[in-house]
Amino acid sequence: MSGWPSGYGLRVLDEVDSTLSEAARIAPGLDGPEWILAHRQTAARGRRGRVWAAPEGNLSATLVMRPAGDAGQAALRSFVAALALHDALAAVIGRDVGLALKWPNDVLLNGGKIAGILLESAGAGRGVAHLAIGIGVNLAAAPAPEAVEPGAVRPVSLSGETGIAISPVEFLGHLATAFDHWERQFRAHGFAPVRVGWLGRAARLGEVITARTGTAETTGTFETVDGEGNLVLKTAAGRVSIPAADIYF
Amino acid sequence: MGHNKHDADVAFIKALAELLRENDLAELQVKRDYGDNDSLNVRVSRYGPAPVQTVHVPVAAPSAAPAAAAPAAQPDLPADPAALPGAVTSPMVGTVYLQAEPGTPAFVSVGDKVAEGDTLLIVEAMKTMNHIPAPRAGIVRRILVEDGAAVEYGSPLMIIE
Repeated sequence: MSGWPSGYGLRVLDEVDSTLSEAARIAPGLDGPEWILAHRQTAARGRRGRVWAAPEGNLSATLVMRPAGDAGQAALRSFVAALALHDALAAVIGRDVGLALKWPNDVLLNGGKIAGILLESAGAGRGVAHLAIGIGVNLAAAPAPEAVEPGAVRPVSLSGETGIAISPVEFLGHLATAFDHWERQFRAHGFAPVRVGWLGRAARLGEVITARTGTAETTGTFETVDGEGNLVLKTAAGRVSIPAADIYF
Repeated sequence: MGHNKHDADVAFIKALAELLRENDLAELQVKRDYGDNDSLNVRVSRYGPAPVQTVHVPVAAPSAAPAAAAPAAQPDLPADPAALPGAVTSPMVGTVYLQAEPGTPAFVSVGDKVAEGDTLLIVEAMKTMNHIPAPRAGIVRRILVEDGAAVEYGSPLMIIE
């Protein structure tokens, strides 16, 4: 392990349904932020019911915390997590060539999807009761290309792209350390430094991309991410800012 | 094209139509400024030849959902659904989901009894699924948003009484 950040708990499970579900269960009794690592997930989940394959040897982890701030602030942790994962991978690989971020929180290696990040929070009004940041990383293996939806980014693994073998526990040390760094930035200075860090690692900035929601599709030039974390596309009809969508290159 | 804004506009117009119905008003006119040379003018009327008129500058006018002038019921309600005592409002800008995942039953339906803390719906922004809990025990009286709708901060989502 590359050390462990102070103030963060760690719970390692042999098997669990989903680390996100476990996070929701343990959140009420939490003393401080805690990482949950599972060697096997029997019911791993992706966004909106998508399947997430989590074979042994890949990272399946969730950070659960009870952050101050409202739900909008909690959602900005999407960028904190993506930055942390990017930097953890760069530390393990030894360079950041080939690594890039896709809005809001996908990490790409050599243009392929190496990880998935999904956040869940609960609460309304003044704050959130808890926030769970689920992170799956294809360390050892990636799903077959035909296993993902048409148009989705090709799945890749760390081992397949670089030949590097690292255990989930060891990798989590890098990830937790990098997360702690960006979380401190976020708490001390707000979203601004996180936004700048994210934009500096963004894929396809200035290029035409498509954002798809359940009900609409918007194609435009990827101009920036605004101060609230929205994707800003410049379209023929003007600027459109998008809080939730799937992005297609 | 500005589909996302289009969705928000349609939701906005539907909310106005709702207001009209609930308060037994004859007509409502609202102008929403989005920025330089970009505004949405909406006139929603229960009577007359044009039930709904929208003009969106410079974006093409969205073909608004017909605001059917249903028989009015509760004329004593305040003008803003968000101000109702039982209103649950959105804590963030995002997309609404009424069920945990596609193909599964809705979290709640109108008439359901809910306990404090039960999940009513999800608002997603930036791949963060924010579960909105019932602020108190009660009955779901109204669901003011549609699955997949775009909502703003403070948008009324449901009425729990």
